[in-house]
Amino acid sequence: MTADGLEIRQSSASVWGSSTELRNLKVVSKYIDTSTCIGCKACEVACQEWNDLHIVPTQQVGTYQTMPGLDANYWNLIEFRELEADGNFLWLLRKDGCMHCADPGCLKACPAPGAIVQYQNGIVDVNPEACIGCKMCETGCPFDVPRYSAKTDKMAKCTLCVDRVQVGLEPACVKSCPTGCLQFGDKTDMVALGNARVEQLKKNGFAQATLYDPPGVGGTTVITVLAHGDHPEWYGLPNDPQVPGAVRLWKNVLRPLGALAIAASFFSMVGHYLAFGPKTSKDGAAKSDGGAKKGDG
Amino acid sequence: MRRIALPDEMPHNGLGDAAMARARSTENVVVGDEIVRERLSARVVHWAVAVTFFVCLFTGLPIWTPYLGFLATLFGGLHVCRLLHPWAGIAFAAASVLMFVQWVSQMRLTPADREFLTPRGLLRYFQYRNDDVEVGKYNGGQKLLFWAAALGAAGLLATGLVMWFPLAFGQRLREASYLLHDVAFSLFFAMIIGHIYLGTAAEPGTLRSMVRGTVTRSWAQLHHPRWYREVTSDQPKR
Repeated sequence: MTADGLEIRQSSASVWGSSTELRNLKVVSKYIDTSTCIGCKACEVACQEWNDLHIVPTQQVGTYQTMPGLDANYWNLIEFRELEADGNFLWLLRKDGCMHCADPGCLKACPAPGAIVQYQNGIVDVNPEACIGCKMCETGCPFDVPRYSAKTDKMAKCTLCVDRVQVGLEPACVKSCPTGCLQFGDKTDMVALGNARVEQLKKNGFAQATLYDPPGVGGTTVITVLAHGDHPEWYGLPNDPQVPGAVRLWKNVLRPLGALAIAASFFSMVGHYLAFGPKTSKDGAAKSDGGAKKGDG
Repeated sequence: MRRIALPDEMPHNGLGDAAMARARSTENVVVGDEIVRERLSARVVHWAVAVTFFVCLFTGLPIWTPYLGFLATLFGGLHVCRLLHPWAGIAFAAASVLMFVQWVSQMRLTPADREFLTPRGLLRYFQYRNDDVEVGKYNGGQKLLFWAAALGAAGLLATGLVMWFPLAFGQRLREASYLLHDVAFSLFFAMIIGHIYLGTAAEPGTLRSMVRGTVTRSWAQLHHPRWYREVTSDQPKR
Protein backbone atom coordinates (compact mmCIF):
# COMPACT_ATOMS: atom_id res chain seq x y z
CA MET A 1 0.00 0.00 0.00
CA THR A 2 1.15 3.51 -0.52
CA ALA A 3 1.78 5.66 2.49
CA ASP A 4 -0.97 8.04 3.45
CA GLY A 5 0.00 11.55 4.30
CA LEU A 6 3.08 11.63 2.11
CA GLU A 7 2.95 13.84 -0.92
CA ILE A 8 3.51 12.13 -4.24
CA ARG A 9 6.09 13.59 -6.60
CA GLN A 10 5.47 11.23 -9.50
CA SER A 11 3.67 8.01 -10.14
CA SER A 12 4.08 5.35 -12.82
CA ALA A 13 2.00 5.49 -16.01
CA SER A 14 0.21 8.63 -14.95
CA VAL A 15 -1.79 10.53 -17.54
CA TRP A 16 -2.00 14.13 -16.45
CA GLY A 17 0.80 14.16 -13.93
CA SER A 18 0.43 12.79 -10.48
CA SER A 19 2.17 15.26 -8.25
CA THR A 20 0.31 16.06 -5.06
CA GLU A 21 3.09 18.28 -3.76
CA LEU A 22 1.46 21.06 -1.85
CA ARG A 23 3.63 21.23 1.20
CA ASN A 24 7.37 21.41 0.97
CA LEU A 25 8.77 18.34 2.67
CA LYS A 26 12.46 17.71 2.80
CA VAL A 27 14.11 14.96 0.82
CA VAL A 28 15.34 12.27 3.15
CA SER A 29 18.39 10.10 2.71
CA LYS A 30 19.93 6.91 3.96
CA TYR A 31 23.67 7.14 4.41
CA ILE A 32 25.75 3.98 4.04
CA ASP A 33 29.44 4.01 4.95
CA THR A 34 30.89 0.86 3.43
CA SER A 35 34.19 1.54 5.17
CA THR A 36 32.74 1.09 8.65
CA CYS A 37 30.36 -1.75 7.91
CA ILE A 38 31.41 -4.84 9.86
CA GLY A 39 29.11 -7.26 8.05
CA CYS A 40 27.09 -8.16 11.12
CA LYS A 41 23.87 -8.38 9.08
CA ALA A 42 21.78 -6.81 11.84
CA CYS A 43 20.21 -4.68 9.12
CA GLU A 44 19.20 -7.80 7.19
CA VAL A 45 17.42 -9.21 10.22
CA ALA A 46 15.82 -5.88 11.14
CA CYS A 47 14.51 -5.55 7.58
CA GLN A 48 13.02 -9.03 7.62
CA GLU A 49 11.43 -8.44 11.02
CA TRP A 50 10.00 -4.99 10.47
CA ASN A 51 8.60 -5.83 7.06
CA ASP A 52 7.31 -9.24 8.23
CA LEU A 53 8.99 -10.90 5.29
CA HIS A 54 8.88 -14.67 5.18
CA ILE A 55 12.13 -16.37 5.86
CA VAL A 56 14.03 -17.24 2.72
CA PRO A 57 16.36 -20.23 2.97
CA THR A 58 19.93 -19.00 3.03
CA GLN A 59 22.39 -20.24 0.44
CA GLN A 60 26.07 -20.82 0.89
CA VAL A 61 27.85 -18.90 -1.85
CA GLY A 62 31.40 -19.35 -0.58
CA THR A 63 31.53 -16.13 1.42
CA TYR A 64 29.73 -14.80 4.49
CA GLN A 65 26.99 -13.54 2.19
CA THR A 66 23.50 -14.76 3.13
CA MET A 67 22.42 -15.61 -0.39
CA PRO A 68 23.44 -14.87 -3.98
CA GLY A 69 21.27 -11.82 -4.43
CA LEU A 70 18.19 -9.87 -3.46
CA ASP A 71 14.85 -11.66 -3.41
CA ALA A 72 11.21 -10.63 -3.42
CA ASN A 73 11.34 -11.64 0.26
CA TYR A 74 14.81 -10.26 0.98
CA TRP A 75 15.21 -6.56 0.33
CA ASN A 76 18.44 -5.84 2.17
CA LEU A 77 21.54 -7.92 1.56
CA ILE A 78 25.12 -7.32 2.67
CA GLU A 79 27.35 -8.38 -0.19
CA PHE A 80 30.81 -9.67 0.70
CA ARG A 81 33.35 -9.27 -2.08
CA GLU A 82 36.93 -10.43 -2.05
CA LEU A 83 39.37 -9.17 -4.63
CA GLU A 84 42.99 -8.28 -5.18
CA ALA A 85 44.01 -4.86 -6.42
CA ASP A 86 47.49 -3.32 -6.65
CA GLY A 87 48.88 -6.26 -4.74
CA ASN A 88 46.49 -5.73 -1.85
CA PHE A 89 43.70 -7.99 -0.75
CA LEU A 90 40.38 -6.20 -0.43
CA TRP A 91 37.36 -7.40 1.49
CA LEU A 92 34.57 -5.09 0.46
CA LEU A 93 31.14 -5.09 2.06
CA ARG A 94 28.19 -3.31 0.56
CA LYS A 95 24.56 -3.07 1.49
CA ASP A 96 22.57 -4.04 -1.60
CA GLY A 97 19.04 -2.76 -1.89
CA CYS A 98 16.93 -0.12 -3.56
CA MET A 99 18.82 3.14 -4.12
CA HIS A 100 15.58 5.18 -4.40
CA CYS A 101 16.75 7.13 -7.45
CA ALA A 102 15.59 10.69 -7.99
CA ASP A 103 14.93 9.61 -11.60
CA PRO A 104 13.72 6.04 -11.08
CA GLY A 105 14.07 3.75 -14.10
CA CYS A 106 11.60 1.28 -12.60
CA LEU A 107 8.92 3.95 -12.41
CA LYS A 108 9.71 5.10 -15.92
CA ALA A 109 9.34 1.59 -17.35
CA CYS A 110 6.24 0.65 -15.34
CA PRO A 111 3.00 0.51 -17.41
CA ALA A 112 0.61 0.13 -14.46
CA PRO A 113 -0.80 3.43 -13.19
CA GLY A 114 0.27 4.06 -9.62
CA ALA A 115 2.13 0.77 -9.17
CA ILE A 116 5.37 2.60 -8.46
CA VAL A 117 5.28 5.96 -6.76
CA GLN A 118 7.92 8.42 -5.72
CA TYR A 119 7.08 10.48 -2.67
CA GLN A 120 8.18 14.03 -2.35
CA ASN A 121 10.67 12.94 0.29
CA GLY A 122 12.48 10.86 -2.33
CA ILE A 123 11.30 7.40 -1.33
CA VAL A 124 10.33 5.16 -4.26
CA ASP A 125 7.60 2.77 -3.20
CA VAL A 126 5.62 -0.07 -4.74
CA ASN A 127 1.85 -0.29 -4.59
CA PRO A 128 1.24 -4.04 -4.86
CA GLU A 129 -2.45 -3.63 -5.58
CA ALA A 130 -1.69 -1.78 -8.79
CA CYS A 131 1.31 -3.91 -9.82
CA ILE A 132 0.46 -6.24 -12.71
CA GLY A 133 3.61 -8.35 -12.46
CA CYS A 134 4.89 -7.53 -15.95
CA LYS A 135 8.52 -7.24 -14.75
CA MET A 136 9.25 -4.22 -16.93
CA CYS A 137 10.70 -2.47 -13.85
CA GLU A 138 13.45 -5.07 -13.76
CA THR A 139 14.58 -3.87 -17.18
CA GLY A 140 14.23 -0.23 -16.19
CA CYS A 141 16.31 -0.45 -13.01
CA PRO A 142 20.03 0.26 -13.52
CA PHE A 143 20.83 -1.34 -10.14
CA ASP A 144 19.04 -4.67 -10.70
CA VAL A 145 16.94 -4.25 -7.56
CA PRO A 146 13.25 -5.05 -8.22
CA ARG A 147 12.39 -8.70 -7.69
CA TYR A 148 9.37 -10.50 -9.05
CA SER A 149 7.53 -12.80 -6.67
CA ALA A 150 5.86 -15.75 -8.38
CA LYS A 151 3.81 -16.23 -5.22
CA THR A 152 2.12 -12.84 -5.42
CA ASP A 153 2.70 -12.21 -9.16
CA LYS A 154 3.99 -8.79 -8.14
CA MET A 155 7.21 -6.90 -7.73
CA ALA A 156 8.76 -6.25 -4.35
CA LYS A 157 11.69 -4.20 -3.10
CA CYS A 158 12.92 -2.03 -0.25
CA THR A 159 10.43 0.69 0.71
CA LEU A 160 12.98 2.57 2.80
CA CYS A 161 10.56 1.70 5.61
CA VAL A 162 8.24 4.42 4.40
CA ASP A 163 5.73 3.34 7.03
CA ARG A 164 8.29 4.20 9.71
CA VAL A 165 9.63 7.32 8.00
CA GLN A 166 6.21 8.92 7.64
CA VAL A 167 5.73 8.79 11.42
CA GLY A 168 9.16 10.19 12.12
CA LEU A 169 11.13 7.01 12.67
CA GLU A 170 14.28 5.93 10.91
CA PRO A 171 14.29 2.80 8.69
CA ALA A 172 14.62 -0.52 10.52
CA CYS A 173 18.06 -1.21 9.05
CA VAL A 174 19.39 2.12 10.30
CA LYS A 175 17.82 1.56 13.71
CA SER A 176 19.64 -1.75 14.08
CA CYS A 177 23.11 -0.75 12.84
CA PRO A 178 25.63 -1.09 15.68
CA THR A 179 28.52 0.82 14.10
CA GLY A 180 26.72 3.88 12.87
CA CYS A 181 27.68 3.13 9.30
CA LEU A 182 23.97 3.55 8.53
CA GLN A 183 22.46 6.95 9.20
CA PHE A 184 19.18 8.54 8.24
CA GLY A 185 18.06 12.14 7.95
CA ASP A 186 17.61 15.04 5.56
CA LYS A 187 19.57 14.56 2.39
CA THR A 188 21.58 17.76 2.86
CA ASP A 189 22.68 16.56 6.30
CA MET A 190 23.55 13.08 5.02
CA VAL A 191 25.55 14.50 2.10
CA ALA A 192 27.47 16.71 4.55
CA LEU A 193 28.12 13.67 6.73
CA GLY A 194 29.27 11.70 3.69
CA ASN A 195 31.57 14.44 2.45
CA ALA A 196 33.15 14.74 5.90
CA ARG A 197 33.74 10.99 6.01
CA VAL A 198 35.22 11.07 2.50
CA GLU A 199 37.69 13.77 3.60
CA GLN A 200 38.60 11.63 6.58
CA LEU A 201 39.18 8.60 4.33
CA LYS A 202 41.32 10.65 1.97
CA LYS A 203 43.50 11.71 4.87
CA ASN A 204 43.77 8.08 5.90
CA GLY A 205 45.23 7.02 2.57
CA PHE A 206 42.16 6.37 0.45
CA ALA A 207 42.79 9.15 -2.03
CA GLN A 208 40.00 7.99 -4.35
CA ALA A 209 37.28 7.89 -1.70
CA THR A 210 33.94 9.30 -2.88
CA LEU A 211 30.35 9.67 -1.92
CA TYR A 212 28.34 7.61 -4.41
CA ASP A 213 25.32 9.70 -5.39
CA PRO A 214 25.25 9.05 -9.14
CA PRO A 215 24.04 12.03 -11.20
CA GLY A 216 22.98 9.77 -14.09
CA VAL A 217 19.82 8.91 -12.19
CA GLY A 218 19.45 12.39 -10.71
CA GLY A 219 21.19 11.31 -7.53
CA THR A 220 19.98 8.64 -5.17
CA THR A 221 18.18 8.84 -1.86
CA VAL A 222 20.50 6.11 -0.60
CA ILE A 223 24.03 7.52 -0.70
CA THR A 224 27.12 5.38 -0.18
CA VAL A 225 30.63 6.20 0.97
CA LEU A 226 33.14 4.18 -1.04
CA ALA A 227 36.78 4.08 0.01
CA HIS A 228 37.71 2.98 -3.53
CA GLY A 229 35.47 5.52 -5.19
CA ASP A 230 37.20 5.24 -8.54
CA HIS A 231 36.03 1.63 -8.75
CA PRO A 232 32.37 1.38 -7.74
CA GLU A 233 32.24 -1.85 -9.75
CA TRP A 234 34.43 -3.45 -7.07
CA TYR A 235 31.43 -3.04 -4.81
CA GLY A 236 28.99 -4.28 -7.43
CA LEU A 237 27.78 -0.78 -8.24
CA PRO A 238 27.55 0.52 -11.80
CA ASN A 239 30.07 3.20 -12.73
CA ASP A 240 27.61 5.58 -14.28
CA PRO A 241 24.08 4.28 -13.77
CA GLN A 242 21.45 5.68 -16.09
CA VAL A 243 17.84 4.92 -16.81
CA PRO A 244 18.43 2.65 -19.84
CA GLY A 245 18.43 4.67 -23.05
CA ALA A 246 16.14 2.04 -24.55
CA VAL A 247 13.51 2.74 -21.87
CA ARG A 248 13.65 6.48 -22.58
CA LEU A 249 13.52 5.86 -26.34
CA TRP A 250 10.60 3.51 -25.86
CA LYS A 251 8.51 5.75 -23.63
CA ASN A 252 9.50 9.22 -24.89
CA VAL A 253 10.01 8.67 -28.62
CA LEU A 254 8.62 5.40 -29.98
CA ARG A 255 5.32 5.57 -28.14
CA PRO A 256 4.35 9.03 -29.45
CA LEU A 257 5.70 8.14 -32.91
CA GLY A 258 3.63 4.95 -32.91
CA ALA A 259 0.54 6.87 -31.88
CA LEU A 260 1.28 9.31 -34.69
CA ALA A 261 1.60 6.49 -37.24
CA ILE A 262 -1.72 4.99 -36.14
CA ALA A 263 -3.47 8.36 -36.18
CA ALA A 264 -1.91 9.21 -39.55
CA SER A 265 -3.21 5.97 -41.00
CA PHE A 266 -6.68 6.59 -39.66
CA PHE A 267 -6.95 10.20 -40.78
CA SER A 268 -5.45 9.58 -44.20
CA MET A 269 -8.13 6.94 -44.75
CA VAL A 270 -10.82 9.39 -43.66
CA GLY A 271 -9.29 12.00 -45.97
CA HIS A 272 -9.15 9.51 -48.81
CA TYR A 273 -12.81 8.66 -48.41
CA LEU A 274 -13.78 12.31 -48.38
CA ALA A 275 -11.73 13.00 -51.49
CA PHE A 276 -12.37 9.87 -53.53
CA GLY A 277 -15.27 8.03 -51.93
CA PRO A 278 -15.89 4.40 -52.71
CA LYS A 279 -14.38 2.80 -55.77
CA THR A 280 -17.12 1.82 -58.18
CA SER A 281 -17.20 0.62 -61.76
CA LYS A 282 -17.47 3.11 -64.55
CA ASP A 283 -21.24 2.96 -64.62
CA GLY A 284 -21.35 3.33 -60.88
CA ALA A 285 -22.61 -0.17 -60.33
CA ALA A 286 -20.38 -1.43 -57.59
CA LYS A 287 -22.87 -3.46 -55.68
CA SER A 288 -25.47 -4.36 -58.22
CA ASP A 289 -24.87 -7.22 -60.53
CA GLY A 290 -26.50 -5.44 -63.44
CA GLY A 291 -23.27 -4.20 -64.93
CA ALA A 292 -21.63 -7.57 -64.77
CA LYS A 293 -23.41 -9.29 -67.55
CA LYS A 294 -21.90 -7.34 -70.39
CA GLY A 295 -18.39 -8.53 -69.56
CA ASP A 296 -19.43 -12.04 -68.93
CA GLY A 297 -17.01 -14.46 -70.49
CA MET B 1 -38.24 -45.76 -45.32
CA ARG B 2 -37.60 -42.43 -46.96
CA ARG B 3 -34.12 -41.65 -48.01
CA ILE B 4 -32.75 -38.31 -46.82
CA ALA B 5 -31.03 -36.38 -49.58
CA LEU B 6 -27.40 -35.54 -49.09
CA PRO B 7 -26.50 -31.84 -49.45
CA ASP B 8 -25.01 -32.31 -52.90
CA GLU B 9 -28.17 -33.96 -54.11
CA MET B 10 -30.42 -31.19 -52.93
CA PRO B 11 -31.62 -28.93 -55.71
CA HIS B 12 -30.76 -25.30 -55.19
CA ASN B 13 -34.25 -24.10 -55.63
CA GLY B 14 -33.99 -20.82 -53.79
CA LEU B 15 -34.61 -22.32 -50.35
CA GLY B 16 -30.90 -22.55 -49.64
CA ASP B 17 -28.09 -20.31 -50.75
CA ALA B 18 -26.41 -22.02 -53.66
CA ALA B 19 -23.43 -19.68 -53.73
CA MET B 20 -22.68 -20.05 -50.04
CA ALA B 21 -23.10 -23.79 -50.30
CA ARG B 22 -20.46 -23.92 -53.02
CA ALA B 23 -18.25 -21.54 -51.02
CA ARG B 24 -17.96 -24.06 -48.21
CA SER B 25 -15.31 -26.02 -50.02
CA THR B 26 -14.69 -24.44 -53.40
CA GLU B 27 -13.09 -21.28 -54.70
CA ASN B 28 -12.93 -19.50 -58.06
CA VAL B 29 -16.21 -20.81 -59.42
CA VAL B 30 -19.13 -18.86 -60.81
CA VAL B 31 -22.51 -19.45 -59.20
CA GLY B 32 -25.20 -17.46 -60.89
CA ASP B 33 -24.25 -13.82 -60.62
CA GLU B 34 -21.69 -14.46 -57.93
CA ILE B 35 -18.17 -15.81 -57.90
CA VAL B 36 -16.88 -17.83 -55.00
CA ARG B 37 -13.70 -16.10 -53.81
CA GLU B 38 -12.84 -17.44 -50.35
CA ARG B 39 -13.81 -20.89 -49.18
CA LEU B 40 -15.15 -21.44 -45.68
CA SER B 41 -11.81 -22.57 -44.22
CA ALA B 42 -10.07 -19.48 -45.58
CA ARG B 43 -12.71 -17.22 -44.05
CA VAL B 44 -12.56 -18.99 -40.70
CA VAL B 45 -8.78 -18.63 -40.58
CA HIS B 46 -9.01 -14.97 -41.58
CA TRP B 47 -11.50 -14.18 -38.84
CA ALA B 48 -9.53 -16.20 -36.31
CA VAL B 49 -6.54 -13.98 -37.05
CA ALA B 50 -8.74 -10.88 -36.90
CA VAL B 51 -10.42 -11.74 -33.59
CA THR B 52 -7.21 -12.76 -31.85
CA PHE B 53 -5.54 -9.64 -33.23
CA PHE B 54 -8.19 -7.41 -31.72
CA VAL B 55 -8.06 -9.20 -28.37
CA CYS B 56 -4.29 -8.63 -28.42
CA LEU B 57 -4.81 -5.03 -29.47
CA PHE B 58 -7.36 -4.11 -26.83
CA THR B 59 -5.54 -5.91 -24.04
CA GLY B 60 -2.23 -4.42 -25.19
CA LEU B 61 -3.29 -0.80 -25.71
CA PRO B 62 -3.95 -0.06 -22.01
CA ILE B 63 -0.52 -1.51 -21.18
CA TRP B 64 1.00 0.50 -24.04
CA THR B 65 -0.25 3.82 -22.75
CA PRO B 66 -2.28 4.90 -19.71
CA TYR B 67 -4.21 7.25 -21.98
CA LEU B 68 -6.02 4.15 -23.25
CA GLY B 69 -6.30 2.66 -19.78
CA PHE B 70 -10.09 2.78 -20.03
CA LEU B 71 -9.93 -0.10 -22.51
CA ALA B 72 -8.79 -2.35 -19.66
CA THR B 73 -12.30 -2.01 -18.26
CA LEU B 74 -13.57 -4.08 -21.19
CA PHE B 75 -11.71 -7.08 -19.82
CA GLY B 76 -11.99 -6.43 -16.10
CA GLY B 77 -8.91 -4.38 -15.43
CA LEU B 78 -5.26 -4.08 -16.29
CA HIS B 79 -4.38 -7.26 -14.41
CA VAL B 80 -6.70 -9.25 -16.66
CA CYS B 81 -5.21 -7.61 -19.74
CA ARG B 82 -1.74 -8.55 -18.59
CA LEU B 83 -2.92 -12.13 -18.07
CA LEU B 84 -4.86 -12.40 -21.34
CA HIS B 85 -2.48 -10.59 -23.66
CA PRO B 86 0.28 -13.21 -23.96
CA TRP B 87 -2.18 -16.07 -24.41
CA ALA B 88 -4.14 -14.09 -26.99
CA GLY B 89 -0.78 -13.46 -28.62
CA ILE B 90 -0.08 -17.18 -28.82
CA ALA B 91 -3.52 -17.71 -30.37
CA PHE B 92 -2.86 -14.86 -32.82
CA ALA B 93 0.49 -16.36 -33.79
CA ALA B 94 -1.07 -19.80 -34.25
CA ALA B 95 -3.87 -18.39 -36.41
CA SER B 96 -1.29 -16.42 -38.37
CA VAL B 97 0.65 -19.61 -39.09
CA LEU B 98 -2.52 -21.21 -40.48
CA MET B 99 -3.17 -18.12 -42.56
CA PHE B 100 0.37 -18.15 -43.88
CA VAL B 101 0.19 -21.81 -44.89
CA GLN B 102 -3.19 -21.31 -46.49
CA TRP B 103 -2.31 -18.35 -48.70
CA VAL B 104 1.45 -18.43 -49.20
CA SER B 105 1.29 -20.23 -52.56
CA GLN B 106 -0.95 -17.49 -53.98
CA MET B 107 1.07 -14.58 -52.68
CA ARG B 108 4.18 -14.70 -54.85
CA LEU B 109 4.81 -11.22 -56.23
CA THR B 110 4.67 -11.00 -60.01
CA PRO B 111 6.38 -8.24 -62.02
CA ALA B 112 2.97 -6.63 -62.39
CA ASP B 113 2.59 -6.66 -58.58
CA ARG B 114 5.97 -5.03 -58.19
CA GLU B 115 4.87 -2.31 -60.58
CA PHE B 116 1.68 -1.95 -58.51
CA LEU B 117 3.77 -1.44 -55.37
CA THR B 118 5.87 1.41 -56.74
CA PRO B 119 4.87 4.85 -55.43
CA ARG B 120 3.46 5.60 -58.86
CA GLY B 121 1.45 2.40 -58.90
CA LEU B 122 0.07 2.95 -55.41
CA LEU B 123 -0.84 6.53 -56.22
CA ARG B 124 -2.74 5.36 -59.29
CA TYR B 125 -4.47 2.73 -57.17
CA PHE B 126 -5.55 5.15 -54.48
CA GLN B 127 -6.67 7.72 -57.05
CA TYR B 128 -8.76 5.06 -58.78
CA ARG B 129 -6.86 5.69 -61.99
CA ASN B 130 -5.67 2.12 -62.40
CA ASP B 131 -7.38 0.29 -65.19
CA ASP B 132 -4.79 -2.46 -64.89
CA VAL B 133 -6.28 -5.47 -66.58
CA GLU B 134 -3.51 -7.70 -65.25
CA VAL B 135 -4.59 -7.75 -61.60
CA GLY B 136 -5.13 -11.36 -60.59
CA LYS B 137 -6.97 -12.78 -57.61
CA TYR B 138 -4.85 -10.72 -55.23
CA ASN B 139 -3.30 -7.40 -56.12
CA GLY B 140 0.17 -6.26 -55.15
CA GLY B 141 -1.10 -4.43 -52.10
CA GLN B 142 -2.91 -7.48 -50.78
CA LYS B 143 0.19 -9.58 -51.27
CA LEU B 144 2.30 -7.00 -49.47
CA LEU B 145 -0.21 -7.03 -46.62
CA PHE B 146 0.10 -10.79 -46.47
CA TRP B 147 3.89 -10.72 -46.20
CA ALA B 148 3.88 -7.78 -43.80
CA ALA B 149 1.33 -9.53 -41.59
CA ALA B 150 3.44 -12.70 -41.56
CA LEU B 151 6.60 -10.77 -40.72
CA GLY B 152 4.76 -8.69 -38.14
CA ALA B 153 3.23 -11.74 -36.46
CA ALA B 154 6.63 -13.43 -36.30
CA GLY B 155 8.23 -10.31 -34.85
CA LEU B 156 5.45 -9.74 -32.34
CA LEU B 157 5.64 -13.39 -31.25
CA ALA B 158 9.42 -13.40 -30.83
CA THR B 159 9.58 -10.11 -28.94
CA GLY B 160 6.42 -10.96 -27.03
CA LEU B 161 7.94 -14.17 -25.71
CA VAL B 162 10.93 -12.23 -24.42
CA MET B 163 8.56 -9.75 -22.75
CA TRP B 164 6.52 -12.60 -21.27
CA PHE B 165 9.56 -14.24 -19.69
CA PRO B 166 12.01 -11.34 -19.43
CA LEU B 167 14.09 -12.84 -16.65
CA ALA B 168 15.16 -15.69 -18.93
CA PHE B 169 16.86 -13.20 -21.24
CA GLY B 170 19.60 -10.60 -21.00
CA GLN B 171 19.10 -6.89 -20.50
CA ARG B 172 19.96 -5.91 -24.10
CA LEU B 173 17.58 -8.47 -25.61
CA ARG B 174 14.81 -7.34 -23.27
CA GLU B 175 15.33 -3.69 -24.21
CA ALA B 176 15.35 -4.55 -27.92
CA SER B 177 12.17 -6.58 -27.51
CA TYR B 178 10.26 -3.78 -25.80
CA LEU B 179 11.28 -1.41 -28.59
CA LEU B 180 10.57 -3.79 -31.46
CA HIS B 181 7.25 -4.98 -30.02
CA ASP B 182 6.18 -1.34 -29.89
CA VAL B 183 7.32 -0.57 -33.42
CA ALA B 184 5.83 -3.77 -34.85
CA PHE B 185 2.50 -3.19 -33.13
CA SER B 186 2.26 0.46 -34.22
CA LEU B 187 2.97 -0.36 -37.86
CA PHE B 188 0.75 -3.44 -37.78
CA PHE B 189 -2.19 -1.49 -36.38
CA ALA B 190 -1.67 1.36 -38.86
CA MET B 191 -1.65 -1.24 -41.63
CA ILE B 192 -4.79 -2.97 -40.36
CA ILE B 193 -6.64 0.36 -40.31
CA GLY B 194 -5.87 0.66 -44.01
CA HIS B 195 -6.86 -2.97 -44.57
CA ILE B 196 -10.24 -2.51 -42.90
CA TYR B 197 -10.90 0.72 -44.77
CA LEU B 198 -10.10 -0.76 -48.17
CA GLY B 199 -12.09 -3.89 -47.39
CA THR B 200 -15.21 -1.99 -46.38
CA ALA B 201 -15.84 1.69 -47.11
CA ALA B 202 -13.41 2.25 -49.95
CA GLU B 203 -14.30 -0.81 -51.98
CA PRO B 204 -17.92 -1.78 -51.51
CA GLY B 205 -18.61 -5.43 -52.12
CA THR B 206 -15.26 -6.58 -50.74
CA LEU B 207 -16.38 -7.49 -47.24
CA ARG B 208 -18.78 -10.13 -48.56
CA SER B 209 -15.82 -12.08 -49.90
CA MET B 210 -14.87 -12.68 -46.27
CA VAL B 211 -18.45 -13.10 -45.01
CA ARG B 212 -20.39 -14.95 -47.70
CA GLY B 213 -17.21 -16.00 -49.42
CA THR B 214 -18.53 -14.66 -52.69
CA VAL B 215 -18.24 -11.49 -54.75
CA THR B 216 -20.32 -10.13 -57.56
CA ARG B 217 -19.21 -10.35 -61.16
CA SER B 218 -19.01 -6.58 -61.45
CA TRP B 219 -16.82 -6.41 -58.36
CA ALA B 220 -14.46 -9.02 -59.77
CA GLN B 221 -14.29 -7.24 -63.12
CA LEU B 222 -13.54 -3.94 -61.45
CA HIS B 223 -10.96 -5.01 -58.89
CA HIS B 224 -9.47 -8.24 -60.22
CA PRO B 225 -10.00 -8.31 -63.97
CA ARG B 226 -7.48 -11.03 -64.78
CA TRP B 227 -8.91 -13.27 -62.06
CA TYR B 228 -12.38 -12.59 -63.45
CA ARG B 229 -11.26 -13.65 -66.93
CA GLU B 230 -9.62 -16.78 -65.57
CA VAL B 231 -12.60 -17.76 -63.50
CA THR B 232 -15.19 -17.14 -66.19
CA SER B 233 -13.33 -18.47 -69.22
CA ASP B 234 -12.63 -22.08 -68.37
CA GLN B 235 -15.97 -22.77 -66.91
CA PRO B 236 -19.38 -23.42 -68.36
CA LYS B 237 -21.97 -20.85 -67.45
CA ARG B 238 -24.39 -21.97 -64.78
